[in-house]
Amino acid sequence: MLIYTIKRFFEMVIVFFLFLVISYLLFNAIPGNAFSSLLLNPLLPPEAYQKTIEAFGLDKPLYERVQLYIINFFKGDFGYSYTYYPRTPIDLIAERLPRTLMLFSIVNVIAFYTGFLVGKILAWRRGSKSETWITIGSVFSYTVFYPWFALMMLWFFGYKMDWFPLGKFLVPEKWYDSPYTSDEIFYTLIIFVTVSSFLLFLIFIFTRNIESLQNRRNVRFLGLISLFALAATYWTNGEAALKRFYAADIAYHMILPTFTVTLVAFAGTALLTRTTMMEVLKDDYILTARAKGLSQKRIRDRHAARTALLPVVTSFIFTIITIIDGSVLTESIFSWPGMGQLILEAVVQEDIPLAMASFSFIGILALIAHFIADVSYAFLDPRIRIKSEN
Amino acid sequence: MDNQNVERDIKATLKKNWKLFKQSRLGITGLTIVIFFGFLAILQPILFLTNIWDEATYHPVVGYDAEQVARTVVECPDQYPTREYQTKEDCPKVDEVNIRYLKAFNIQVEVGDIYESNVQPAPPSSRHLLGTDSLGRDIFSQIMEGSQVAFLLGLISAIIGVGISTLLGTAAAFYGGKLDTYLMRQSDLVLMLPTLPFLFIISAFAELKVWHLAIVLGTLGGLGGSVITIKSQALQVKVKPFVDSARITGGSKRRIMFSHILPNVAPLALLYMVFSVTGAIASESVLSFLGLLNIDMSWGIMIYLSQTEGFIFTGLKYWWLIVPAGLAVTLLAGGFYLVGRGLDDVFNPRLRRR
Repeated sequence: MLIYTIKRFFEMVIVFFLFLVISYLLFNAIPGNAFSSLLLNPLLPPEAYQKTIEAFGLDKPLYERVQLYIINFFKGDFGYSYTYYPRTPIDLIAERLPRTLMLFSIVNVIAFYTGFLVGKILAWRRGSKSETWITIGSVFSYTVFYPWFALMMLWFFGYKMDWFPLGKFLVPEKWYDSPYTSDEIFYTLIIFVTVSSFLLFLIFIFTRNIESLQNRRNVRFLGLISLFALAATYWTNGEAALKRFYAADIAYHMILPTFTVTLVAFAGTALLTRTTMMEVLKDDYILTARAKGLSQKRIRDRHAARTALLPVVTSFIFTIITIIDGSVLTESIFSWPGMGQLILEAVVQEDIPLAMASFSFIGILALIAHFIADVSYAFLDPRIRIKSEN
Repeated sequence: MDNQNVERDIKATLKKNWKLFKQSRLGITGLTIVIFFGFLAILQPILFLTNIWDEATYHPVVGYDAEQVARTVVECPDQYPTREYQTKEDCPKVDEVNIRYLKAFNIQVEVGDIYESNVQPAPPSSRHLLGTDSLGRDIFSQIMEGSQVAFLLGLISAIIGVGISTLLGTAAAFYGGKLDTYLMRQSDLVLMLPTLPFLFIISAFAELKVWHLAIVLGTLGGLGGSVITIKSQALQVKVKPFVDSARITGGSKRRIMFSHILPNVAPLALLYMVFSVTGAIASESVLSFLGLLNIDMSWGIMIYLSQTEGFIFTGLKYWWLIVPAGLAVTLLAGGFYLVGRGLDDVFNPRLRRR
């Protein structure tokens, strides 16, 4: 297992260097001088111009530039952003990345959980009327043209019903005399969400082994209530009570995007779970479980769904890559200032250093996700685990 | 003699598979949707050639038709809501015109008169089945043009993608060793490329036309994850006894690969092809929705136009600008997906009901 991991790690490092080189060559292939818009920007002082030339080695031959780019990547030095001049690309990415990650990890967890539940029920009720209708619904939400759907949601809930704000990250009027910056508040939110979801996870892990379904449900319910009580005491005491107003503003802006993306994203998991679950249900051991006289619910949840979970979990880890992909659309429709909007803006305005930096960062994120997916798949699937040990 | 036998065999298999496919209701639904849009795509050139449709009026990009519509003159109130109008957006209604607007152009009318004028976007009528857009172009004709684009793009990219991935996947399984390692790492690299940002960057320096995009999407899809899946399928075929017997009887490597292994991988490849059409149609629409594609008309552009011209937040008042295009993308992509599901039932015997 360890050897397999190390081997994969080295392969990944090679793939990553290849990715860096290819992404540099891609930008280099832009006709004309990719950096020419630099000359036209009156906001940039001569130092910035010099700095960019040095950082990217623009007066050197191609292979030296590639080398320089790789070295600079590890130093985190990409010169200056053209459009946001005194700020550097790394600075901008550090600001935007948490927002994207926060929004989409919440979406993914919710979508994964509901998708798994729906898929389980779909496979179990094969052939019934409700199965057909839920399948049609999931196929619709799986294939719906996402920007159109998001705009419709924005129109209906944001404009017509006026329940939610029309995009954006916060309401500026509320923040005029705020003692905190929005980033500080946002980090508090991130820590809060991480800790509470970790506690939730712990509750589920510890109650997993309670045999009686009735008891387990009760214990989980108790745990949830105490978690809510804990959260309430946190937000009403100390400094958090002052931050509460601003945090609520950001959270309010997150509801509609989260809801929309979840509606679209859960269907993929549901359809996948349905397929794997149906294959599992044909297996002999399910028949054995039936013959033993176990209750239907127990067979479904304990015997079938457990085995069907494996491919679904890996697909869940793979979705980290699609998070980044999908973020571009969601963020440009809901005006959520994250990575996706940053890269779209950079490409449209030909802000080359920023585009390069964000593209490489997205790449490295995807690479890490891919690596984790691979290793965890090997860890979860005994067939691969045993094969690699021999 | 031999040829006839083979032909009869193929016919029999097709008949059997069709029978299986017919059993899946979702698959048939999908096929109906796909055939419907295919019909729309073919219908437009026929209508133009037979002069049933005049190009000057119905052309999806340069056509123009100003529809004369008689509308009642009304005066919009200052305060809302009133009995007739709930909000400011409701007045004037589609068949009404505001008197203040006409007064601004020095047109003398009274409230309650009938005023005839050109309307754009015009609501659906017998002349324009789905109305016209804000430039007086026929929406139904645009939908037809969009389905041509979608079919062209989807099919080209799917054929390229499946061709590449089937060849590479089979080769990786059959030859193994260094080639296998290289191909797997390559598909890792392609898999980790964030597709949309990658397409943005390409669109930044190349004027992307439909067939350029088809080639790019096909190549990306062909080098990516499908190689891995097809390789695993080919590995299962490779250890079957008939491959061994072919080798013993002296079949060359290339012959074994092309005439024994490839046909057995083909059903899975077909399945991939159908599913990848869904992705291709969605990516095209997304790119033209963001205004990054250099094409005249497509479903994505129709939505892009209705958004940039501000019709999207008028809700259902101008529904013919918003709903048909979005539904068309959704339905065609869903149709291909459902066909794929139907084929899945045919080629995956484990999932069959009996």
